[in-house]
Amino acid sequence: MTTLTAPVSPTAHAAVADAGIHLEIAGLSKRFGHFTALQDIDLTIREGEFVCFLGPSGCGKTTLLRAIAGLAPQSTGRIVQCGRNISRLPPQARDFGIVFQSYALFPNLTVFDNVAYGLRNRRDDRHRMRERVAELLTLVDLVGSEGKYPAALSGGQQQRVALARALATEPGLLLLDEPLSALDARVRVHLRSQIKALQARLGVTTIMVTHDQEEALAMADRIVVMNHGVIEQVGTPAEIYRHPASAFVAEFIGSMNFLECCPEGEQSLRLGQRRLDCTTHECADLEQARLAIRPEAVELCGRDEGLSARVEHIEFLGAFLRVSLTLEECQQALTADIAVRDGDALGLTPGMTLGVRLPAEAMRLFPSQEARP
Amino acid sequence: MMVGMPSWSRRWSGESLIRLLALLLALGLLVVGLLFPLAAMLVKSVQDRAGDFVGLANFARYVQTPALAGSIVNSLTIALTSTAVVVGLAFLCAYGLTRTCMPGKRLFRMLAILPILAPSLLPAISLVYLFGNQGWFREVLMGESIYGPIGIVMGLSFWIFPHALMILVTALSNSDARLYEAAEALGTPKWRSFFTITLPGARYGLISCGFVAFTLAITDFGVPKIIGGQFSVLATDVYRQVVGQQNFQMGAVVSVILLLPALLSFVVDRWIQRRQVAQLSARAVPWQPSPSPMRDWTFATICYGVGAIILLVIGTAIYASLVQFWPYNLSLTFKHYAFEALAGGGWTSWGNSLKLAFSVATIGTLAIFFNAWLIEKSEGYRPLRQGLHFLAMLPMAVPGMVLGLAYIFFFNQAGNPLNWIYGTLIILVLNTLVHFYTVCHLTSVTALKQLDPEFEAVGASLKVPFWTTFYRVTLPVSLPAVLDISVYLFVNAMTTVSAVVFLYTSDTRLASVAVMHLNEAGYFASAAAMAVLIFFTSLGVKLAHAAISHLLLTRAQRWRQAG
Repeated sequence: MTTLTAPVSPTAHAAVADAGIHLEIAGLSKRFGHFTALQDIDLTIREGEFVCFLGPSGCGKTTLLRAIAGLAPQSTGRIVQCGRNISRLPPQARDFGIVFQSYALFPNLTVFDNVAYGLRNRRDDRHRMRERVAELLTLVDLVGSEGKYPAALSGGQQQRVALARALATEPGLLLLDEPLSALDARVRVHLRSQIKALQARLGVTTIMVTHDQEEALAMADRIVVMNHGVIEQVGTPAEIYRHPASAFVAEFIGSMNFLECCPEGEQSLRLGQRRLDCTTHECADLEQARLAIRPEAVELCGRDEGLSARVEHIEFLGAFLRVSLTLEECQQALTADIAVRDGDALGLTPGMTLGVRLPAEAMRLFPSQEARP
Repeated sequence: MMVGMPSWSRRWSGESLIRLLALLLALGLLVVGLLFPLAAMLVKSVQDRAGDFVGLANFARYVQTPALAGSIVNSLTIALTSTAVVVGLAFLCAYGLTRTCMPGKRLFRMLAILPILAPSLLPAISLVYLFGNQGWFREVLMGESIYGPIGIVMGLSFWIFPHALMILVTALSNSDARLYEAAEALGTPKWRSFFTITLPGARYGLISCGFVAFTLAITDFGVPKIIGGQFSVLATDVYRQVVGQQNFQMGAVVSVILLLPALLSFVVDRWIQRRQVAQLSARAVPWQPSPSPMRDWTFATICYGVGAIILLVIGTAIYASLVQFWPYNLSLTFKHYAFEALAGGGWTSWGNSLKLAFSVATIGTLAIFFNAWLIEKSEGYRPLRQGLHFLAMLPMAVPGMVLGLAYIFFFNQAGNPLNWIYGTLIILVLNTLVHFYTVCHLTSVTALKQLDPEFEAVGASLKVPFWTTFYRVTLPVSLPAVLDISVYLFVNAMTTVSAVVFLYTSDTRLASVAVMHLNEAGYFASAAAMAVLIFFTSLGVKLAHAAISHLLLTRAQRWRQAG
């Protein structure tokens, strides 16, 4: 049977296709009594990928992370890591490192002992252990802090010690549970890029839980947007931003205008009395729909062009102006972000009337809230 | 990857199995040390001497015997009066400590803790010297005898005072300055903000304090034993029925009755604790008293009055143990400390007490803290952990006399495989450990709740077995609480009489029991001497504890101040 011309068996083929997959979650649910925290989650994470679980608090993202770690086992469903079914294994038997929001550094151990905590257990000889700790501390830029206790470190430094400790045992999967939310804004932005660079260098598959969309957009290869225990959308930051799959995603990521409109056919809609062209949508059968458009996609022009709108309020935000408008015909509010120079060219003042253009390719239609299940 | 799996799952089942075993062991300890004996006692109370079931006949006989049933009224009267006295005094002193700028707060706190270090026999002995037939202040009683309700109330008040004070100081410390500032801004008079802010804020503490004082008073054996005279209470009835008349059935009946008020106050206390949780918000600003000479000196006078009484009572016992023959020959001597020729076992019993106290302090601290850790910090086996927590809370509701008697019934049964520990030091250790379990358990739980909940998860993710994380992180970080527990156990093992009075043998006689025997045999000065010896032993350990804690926190545990 082992002739070269023999057809490759189906299982062998599947194994080849799986090679790039690190984690596979299928049909995973988690219930606490009557409350369903996670419902029927299916997700595949590739080797070396940086994935963010993003969603409002209570959406189930931390529960999902803890299920992957085995800290809060799922009620039903399968988790397969590198071809190994880990669904029922305790955390000790799974291959991951974790950093918590509180860091959970051991306060009575020095930085060295914290980082070496998982190494000591492996009975590595002391020399190698010392080398490894030094290597890790170089990695997180904390050389010279070996003898300090956690209480003597700043929040950002503690965070990096926690990261070094989690990476010490060279786990195949790194889990980060809101690792930056306890830090102040400037440290957060700095650490964000540091963690991302470190992850790219080590190539370790990473899952980060966050409720901060900016963080997710900046760091993730792919974002998993979650709400009420289900996955709303999985995609690259650009996909999620440009083509949100649901009104929830559209509203949660970035800022978004929502206008009530009436779909007419598959490629147009009626806003007030005006008929507008838009990209193909799936709301053709509905009477009412929500038209979504990003503030930066809204174009302002002279009053005789486009839809006429009244300027209510202008906010100066440094790089751009945020203009609050009311569409005169349908009396709906609309926000536009425009460059300061364009604003000057139009001579923007509150109370003036001007024209608004909504580009067809920037518009997306979602079912009205009443129509949603 | 697949190769690693078998060893991993084997490791897991090993670790999980050890956890399960430890939980079962902890449950076993409390089932054997608490539940089974109590059950044996309940069974005994519905049997006749031959061991046949007689229903409630024993209880009926109890109610029909005026000499016995009268004790219920006596006990209630004594307990309620003592509670009123203690809570009133303790509230004044606690208010002085927390809400005034009275001078010498530290000194008063130290004085106030002293009564805990002595067995409850000591104040009773001192009161006899002070107010007895040859006492200095006999006339103060205006012809009333100290042997009886007056003496019992005084002795109990002295002994319970520190417990009440600690609860009320905690209750009154939780103050929110913002409320007082708001009241002041609205022009509220001081007396009104006391009744509308201070008292309501401390109400749970007051209720809890009342019940704790009541339980201690109604279950105490030492004070009424020494100074009760013909005035019998429930605790002394149990002793008299069992030791005096060998009527175990009636002893069991009285024990069941004694269990009721203690159980009631236990339930109420639990209920209060649950309601108290979110009383003070995290944003509260602690209230700082500002000097007010009139108020400060009033409270200083009250507190130092109380402090002086405490010193007087303890000082009397010390003095009485050192004079030749009270009150006729007041020259000093150490002869009363030569116990050898007298009843009570002498210095050997002191050695036994030390052995007991050290064993309970080391074994008990480790076992109780580890069990609390199993309950608080492990996943899985939820019903087992909840069951263990319930059993850990129960000892608080079981008076020492009841527990001691229950041990006789259970461990002295012929068929009991643990029968061999009867009459050894082991049964005393087990009994004392269980008797004082609850407070230690609560201290452990509080300390553990303050730790980061993710320590165990981090340990597991780094493939470190749970016991390593326990001894490398959890235990060192909780060390102050662990030391507190060990001293608490030591002092209580040193001073307790009620539980062990049924369980010692001539080989395992304890110092506190010796005090009672010396007193019964008429060696009053030597009884005082033994009580004083216990007091100074406890004091020494307490001071050593303070020194060790200080050293640990400043030297060995430098990390605590690293910030």
